[in-house]
Amino acid sequence: MHILRRFDKTCKIISNKEICAGYFELKVKISNISKQCVPGQFFMIGMQGVFLRRPLSIYDFKNGMLSFLYKVVGKGTDILSKMQSGELRFLGPLGNGYNLETYKDLNNTIVAGGTGIASVHFLATKLKKKGVLYYGARSKKDLLCLDKFKKMGWKIMVSTEDGSKGYKGYITDILEKKIESKDVLFTCGPTQMQKKVLQIAREKNIKAFASLEEKMACGVGNCQGCAVKIDGQIKMVCKDGPVFRLDQVGL
Amino acid sequence: MKPNLSINFLGIKLKNPILSASGTFGYGYELADLIPLKKLGAIVTKTITLEPRCGNDQPRIAEVASGMLNTIGLQNIGVKAFVKEPLEQLKKVGVPVIVSVAGTSVKEYVETIKILSVQDAISAVELNLSCPNLKKKIVCHDLPLVKDVIRSVKKVSRVPIIAKLSPLVTDIAELALCSQNAGADGITLANTYPAMSIDVKTFKYKLSTVKGGMSGPCIKPMAVCCVYDAYQKINIPIIGCGGIQTGEDALEFMLVGARVISIGSASLVSPKRLVEIIYEMENILKEKNIKDVKEVVGMLNTVKTVC
Repeated sequence: MHILRRFDKTCKIISNKEICAGYFELKVKISNISKQCVPGQFFMIGMQGVFLRRPLSIYDFKNGMLSFLYKVVGKGTDILSKMQSGELRFLGPLGNGYNLETYKDLNNTIVAGGTGIASVHFLATKLKKKGVLYYGARSKKDLLCLDKFKKMGWKIMVSTEDGSKGYKGYITDILEKKIESKDVLFTCGPTQMQKKVLQIAREKNIKAFASLEEKMACGVGNCQGCAVKIDGQIKMVCKDGPVFRLDQVGL
Repeated sequence: MKPNLSINFLGIKLKNPILSASGTFGYGYELADLIPLKKLGAIVTKTITLEPRCGNDQPRIAEVASGMLNTIGLQNIGVKAFVKEPLEQLKKVGVPVIVSVAGTSVKEYVETIKILSVQDAISAVELNLSCPNLKKKIVCHDLPLVKDVIRSVKKVSRVPIIAKLSPLVTDIAELALCSQNAGADGITLANTYPAMSIDVKTFKYKLSTVKGGMSGPCIKPMAVCCVYDAYQKINIPIIGCGGIQTGEDALEFMLVGARVISIGSASLVSPKRLVEIIYEMENILKEKNIKDVKEVVGMLNTVKTVC
């Protein structure tokens, strides 16, 4: 478990651009502390106009600049997307990230669904070995940062539900056929997708780590909103996760 | 000159009147890296029950305008595990500890408090009387049960007993008086308000249990009103609670009769608020040239109002 220094402070927006319809990339500068950020970790971001902060996982971190990738889904993200400058409250880095060390001899495989691509993108920048990205989205316009994975030298398998790009259907259909037992799997995305990934990993006895998501109010374990069952016990996504060993997750 | 913020509450000497609220600050010691816990007046732990509880299903949290709903279901490790680990950690903080306790029956409250009562690190117990009883009715809606719980725990407790009351009753002052008469040493007003919310995108309830408890700034004026009403009827001290976000909010509660204040949802959003509120309060008192925070307790609530 990484117990890293967390902070609660105001940070200046450097940029907040729409990278494709409905999807935004927020960049902020955070001095000193962000060197400690680990892929899979997240921040609680506070904005005027909604009561609770929003959890966003780290999409990228370089040159002292933290980036977050988000989709406008409700009031909070809508307000956030309209902020072109000014300040936001940041609490983090929070939670435990992906385990990069234990299975570093295995082949890296990433399975992402929707905006789940954000946390595994940061992961890919930190993994020493390139691997295969399995990435599913609703349609072509929802596929993000494929160029970035390509640039990093990753092999990419894509699926869309409407067939507008890649395989028509779910990404787990392809994964099931291609995955091998010498792979280590990292996954982030919708619960339905994670359930299927879990099933595949179990059947084929594959080591896997999953980043989970639940509604949370605090991000630090106090509200107990984001409870999940891990290995038969109740754990908090925010503090004990968000990344768990997939074989322990009771989805 | 700096105003004096220290205040005596149920025989406990507090550095200042700002407390954490139960259920929003974990077992009390976990955020030591984010805020200086030593600065708090006291720490109120999350609610402890006799046996461990795993809590309710997802979703447990929903946001509403100026507040939130929750249905955590009193998830906790149970009193035996609590005295072993979290309480040991809390002792090291060096701030008075108030333990919140709930049960589904009188026996459960009594058994839990018996175990807590032999611990010297506990300054007081706060009874969470807003949880469902065995008949799925909240304790506060069953007046004979409220009296029975308070009377019974008073017999076994060597620390003061604070009754945390549900605000959704016909007459809050009556309930407060009834708690006082049953032997409560203090009252906490208020708890969350029963509430619900529906997601019209999906046609689903936003909480797994349909209804939950509403907290945050949206309940503050109603909670202030509870304190105002109760203060007129009782003479035991009140912990004011409900949607407090600033020092100004805290003083509102104190002016109508709260002796100390507990902060809940605001500290979930921003843990630092707990400490910032103390400074804000201090500054307002300074501006008003008030030398001692005790002076403001009930300052406005001196005339008995009709109804």
